[in-house]
Amino acid sequence: MNNRREFLKLGALAALGASIPGCRKAETPALESFTGPLDPLHAYPYRGWEDLYRKQWTWDKVVRSTHSANCTGSCSWNVYVRNGVMIREEQAGDYPRISADLPDYNPRGCQKGACFTEYVYGPQRLRSPLIRAGERGEGKWRKATWDEALTLIAGKLLDNIYNYGPDTNTYFSVIPAMSPVSFCAGSRLAHYTGGVFCSFYDWYCDLPPGEPLTWGVQTESCECADWFNSKYIVLWGSNISQTRIPDAHFAWEARYNGAKVVGISPDFNSSMIHADLFLAIQPGTDAALALGVAKYIVDHNLYDAPYVKEQTDLALLVDKRTSRFVRPPNVNDVFFFQDAKTGKRHEAPGSMGSKEKTIALQGADPDLHYSDGEVTTVFELLRQKLAPYTLESVAETTGLALNDIRQFAHEFATRKPAMIIHGAGTNHWFHNDLINRSLILLVALSGNTGKNGGGFNHYVGQERVWPERGFRAYAFPEGVKKQRMQNMTLWTYTHSSNHDPHLYNGKPIEHYIDESVKNGWMPLYPKNRQQKPRALIVWRANYLNQAKGNEYILKSLWKDLDLIVDLNYRMDTTALHSDVVLPAASYYEKSDISSTDCHSYIHPFNKVLEPLYESKPDWEIFRDLARKMSQIAGERKLAPYHDEQFGWDRDFTKTYDAWSANGRFQQAEDGANFIMDGSPETKGMTFEQLKQHPQRFLKIDEEAWNSDIREGQAYTPFQHQVENKRPWRTLTGRQQFYLDHPWFLDFGEQLPVHKEPLGESAKYPFFWNTPHGRWSIHSTWRDARYQLRLQRGIPIVYMHPDDAKERHIQDNDWVKVFNDNGAFVSKVQILPGEKRKRLTMYHGWERYLGFLQGGWQSPTVIKIKPTQLVGGYGHVNFRLNYWGPTGNNRDARVDIVKYTPTAADLRTIRRAGKEQA
Amino acid sequence: MPEHQISMVLDLNKCLGCQTCTMACKKLWTDGDGMDYMYWNNVETRPGQGYPRNWDKIGGGFEDGKLRPSEIPTKEDYGQTFEYNYAERLFQGGPQAMPQEEVRNTPNWDEDVGAMTLGENYYFYLPRLCNHCTNPACLEACPRKAIYKRAEDGIVLVDQERCEGYRYCVRACPYKKIYFNELLGKAQKCIFCYPRIENSEANACARQCPGRLRFVGFLDDPTSAVHKLVHVYKVALGLFPEKGTAPNVFYVPPFNPPRRGSYGKSVLEDPRMPMDYLQYLFGGEVIDVIRRLEGELQRAQNGSKSEVLQLLIGRDDQVRYQIPKHGDLIQLPGGRKA
Repeated sequence: MNNRREFLKLGALAALGASIPGCRKAETPALESFTGPLDPLHAYPYRGWEDLYRKQWTWDKVVRSTHSANCTGSCSWNVYVRNGVMIREEQAGDYPRISADLPDYNPRGCQKGACFTEYVYGPQRLRSPLIRAGERGEGKWRKATWDEALTLIAGKLLDNIYNYGPDTNTYFSVIPAMSPVSFCAGSRLAHYTGGVFCSFYDWYCDLPPGEPLTWGVQTESCECADWFNSKYIVLWGSNISQTRIPDAHFAWEARYNGAKVVGISPDFNSSMIHADLFLAIQPGTDAALALGVAKYIVDHNLYDAPYVKEQTDLALLVDKRTSRFVRPPNVNDVFFFQDAKTGKRHEAPGSMGSKEKTIALQGADPDLHYSDGEVTTVFELLRQKLAPYTLESVAETTGLALNDIRQFAHEFATRKPAMIIHGAGTNHWFHNDLINRSLILLVALSGNTGKNGGGFNHYVGQERVWPERGFRAYAFPEGVKKQRMQNMTLWTYTHSSNHDPHLYNGKPIEHYIDESVKNGWMPLYPKNRQQKPRALIVWRANYLNQAKGNEYILKSLWKDLDLIVDLNYRMDTTALHSDVVLPAASYYEKSDISSTDCHSYIHPFNKVLEPLYESKPDWEIFRDLARKMSQIAGERKLAPYHDEQFGWDRDFTKTYDAWSANGRFQQAEDGANFIMDGSPETKGMTFEQLKQHPQRFLKIDEEAWNSDIREGQAYTPFQHQVENKRPWRTLTGRQQFYLDHPWFLDFGEQLPVHKEPLGESAKYPFFWNTPHGRWSIHSTWRDARYQLRLQRGIPIVYMHPDDAKERHIQDNDWVKVFNDNGAFVSKVQILPGEKRKRLTMYHGWERYLGFLQGGWQSPTVIKIKPTQLVGGYGHVNFRLNYWGPTGNNRDARVDIVKYTPTAADLRTIRRAGKEQA
Repeated sequence: MPEHQISMVLDLNKCLGCQTCTMACKKLWTDGDGMDYMYWNNVETRPGQGYPRNWDKIGGGFEDGKLRPSEIPTKEDYGQTFEYNYAERLFQGGPQAMPQEEVRNTPNWDEDVGAMTLGENYYFYLPRLCNHCTNPACLEACPRKAIYKRAEDGIVLVDQERCEGYRYCVRACPYKKIYFNELLGKAQKCIFCYPRIENSEANACARQCPGRLRFVGFLDDPTSAVHKLVHVYKVALGLFPEKGTAPNVFYVPPFNPPRRGSYGKSVLEDPRMPMDYLQYLFGGEVIDVIRRLEGELQRAQNGSKSEVLQLLIGRDDQVRYQIPKHGDLIQLPGGRKA
């Protein structure tokens, strides 16, 4: 029984005390207005009781805060407190309006944010430090003091550093934008102790690799208010009604303002129901559709030629013999086009090696169609590459109607501005880079990128830290070059028994990994390949539950690690499988700041109440851990550790001094102010100011972003390139669709192309689809009772009625879903909108809830795409969360059978729930 | 008749099915004991079983001016209200976390299911609350006369002191939007957030709606969005008008996209969603409304501005809500309900 319910129960009973049957008081109606026989349709004299509900809508205090679950929402909420208890939350609803024409951002929020208070007091809440007393994952603990827990962790981290090397300590926390101060608390400790800091954006396959490849950026999308400026919105693998709940209205409102909305998705999902055109595409064929549309645009001369010539690499010359760009001798980063005006070869301005810091053509007219015996243009190569993608062949590949595709192609090319809203539905495929590049090609050919209401806008993960410069300085104070950074996909693959049996051009992926590491393209820690990772510290994340290749990880990596620490406000799957669990303050019990791609504002987390139970904000936990390390280092009289990789003598008796910048950072607000002060977006703002209402960013950091913040306009990226003619951040200085890196040439991927999904469709006929859904943000809220009561209570897998019939499966049956990687048992729901030969389970279910076996990641294995291991190519180099192999999962195939619960299962089902929460 | 009638219009073409309204209402009003199973506001997928299960098929409302009460839905019809063994599983080494009973029905059991015609799926979301009817069957049915309609705003309330829990109201309501609190022995229902309305604050379900599909105001206020949508543009209809209660919650009826290969055709000519289903819910008038909306949408998408769609965009709170302070109600122009 939690405090809140206890409180409400008493409140309600007390309020109704007068009317509980058996203790009724005499009625004392106010009769002033009562002048005849009772006719309650017209007049009612006994209205004094109405205060009952008026009292329920009262509170003692309201405090603004928000949530940190990586949903991209970044929604400002008011939390209401009565009698010292957080009773409910409601959207603050006070984002300032951008302009009179644009709909405002209020009230940003969703059903999950509307009941976070459930976690604050819920049975999953961590109340004190715990040390494992049974097997990992068993759920047996002993209570520990903070001192005991921190002493254990600090001692072990120091042991590892001195005995095995600092790179055996690994740190994992996701998405700084959603609470950068909490993130930095741990990254600073990793930084000063030489630990390995792992990526997340690529590992969770939220990174669209086509963006670094084509544009040289991590991700650049318009803020969602800009959707309203569009006249053609294509929801491509993005179910905004479920995954962008606070923003979806902009699309449906844009429709009323004259936009057409096209939905492309295999299933008839919650967004497709509102579309003007629904394209029920065959899974994994999105690139084919895009290239078919591209061919239509090229064939019908509907491309924006001036834009394409100036803004893309399509006019650049390629050597026919080598398939490499034409370059000057021994120069890698200077390129040419053929000038149609002079008939001469002309150096393309603005490339990495160009002296010109502009891409403006200054009178030249690049010939898109130039070809001679030796050279040709990227455009001509593209035209050849597009030849097979006739509308007829695309209709066959994608399963779409010819009429629909033709009209789509024509409208896409002619209705302007047109934008693609892109999501994880398409981004989670193995060939995500090819899909991205094909879609980006469409908005480039039609001249839509860099314009309000246009472009390719990818929203998966809250990766955009607007005040980036200050954040970086706070997160990794000595610079990112002095931080061990690690792509998490590679780390997990290498250190677990995940094994991809697929051969790539005849070679196993291990061959490409070795090459990449040897070439210095990708880092791999521990550097000493004889060593294994020893300690893993996880905060603001649920690494284990969400990891691809779950079964393999549990059997290998999880057994090899000898210290797993989890900081959390609730016992999630990773915490449950940890050795030490530290109780963190919830989102409503700490100070921090929040920003997102989806809007251009910053707003705060605040302490609605002081941290409950024995919990502490992440920031304080890492502060105390830093102190404890210094204390132990002093007690052990440890000499400084010489960290050879950086030539850094690490004196651990000074770890706390370094962490706190010699006491400069006394509380979390100091961190927030440091970040804001160090960033042009927020310079001059203070944490105190944010408490008033969300503040729009003032200006942008030109190093980090590609458009200005403009008064009265929604932010859209790449105006610097399109309007101001600044070079794109790529090797060629243009939107680069041609990649002549040798590995791309080897795989025939120098230009966008459609490739079939991997996987054995003969053995396992169903695609295994685990999209983001409305009922959780990853694993957060997956176990929340208020949410579960509006679902079916436990995990369900969706299946098309005809597939179910074939397999004699009925709605709400138990089913087993399996392949060679693993299996799980859950309930099934028959869903007519599901695609045939595909099974869907919305992702994030905790392994400990409702499954009779396994979990939703049991059928997956990590698959690394060789070309995502490359580096040393202009703009294509490893950088944390910018470039590195993605942890894709959409190509997995499975089979499904009806499952009859065993006697043991039935005991579990019956025994569970006896305890009343 | 009340002097003024508060009203809500919900644009179903903006509904996300996200249930933020449901949660907002739950947390504000039905989080107390005996209320677990109650959702004064719910969102159901249509076609579908609804909440409580089959509420639309079991009766209620008036026929020939007489009450036609239904049976009282069972607990399972409303949906189970399970708890979990988290403390045991997570902190005491117990078995897999499960609901305390096998789940057979919930208020949102057939979410996103809908139905199929010609091999194609169709559905939409229908958020539902008490309709605060002009002719409330619940009020008519109450032998205790403990249900009344407020003169100043037409909100229908169950007097929580005088209600004796006879449940005639539950049987009478054609929308099954009155619930029985077993613990307290009282009928309870949506109060249209009158404490908020009295303070010019929109209902929690409306103000917290991220889809921004709810418009709130007085029907008899000619300047209000609800008045315009219902009486001027005539694009919003009540549910089951034949039930005779004259509901004061109205819906802009839903579209689905055209069927495969039919892009460019009218939804009336070649509908994915059969029109008879919409007529079942909203009455025969819905065809005209759909025709009107489709025309407006085409006009907008061809580059002109549509007045009614510009209103439905609902750019901010001021456009969507016109809720004068109760003290100012008397000054509303237009007089009695139109």
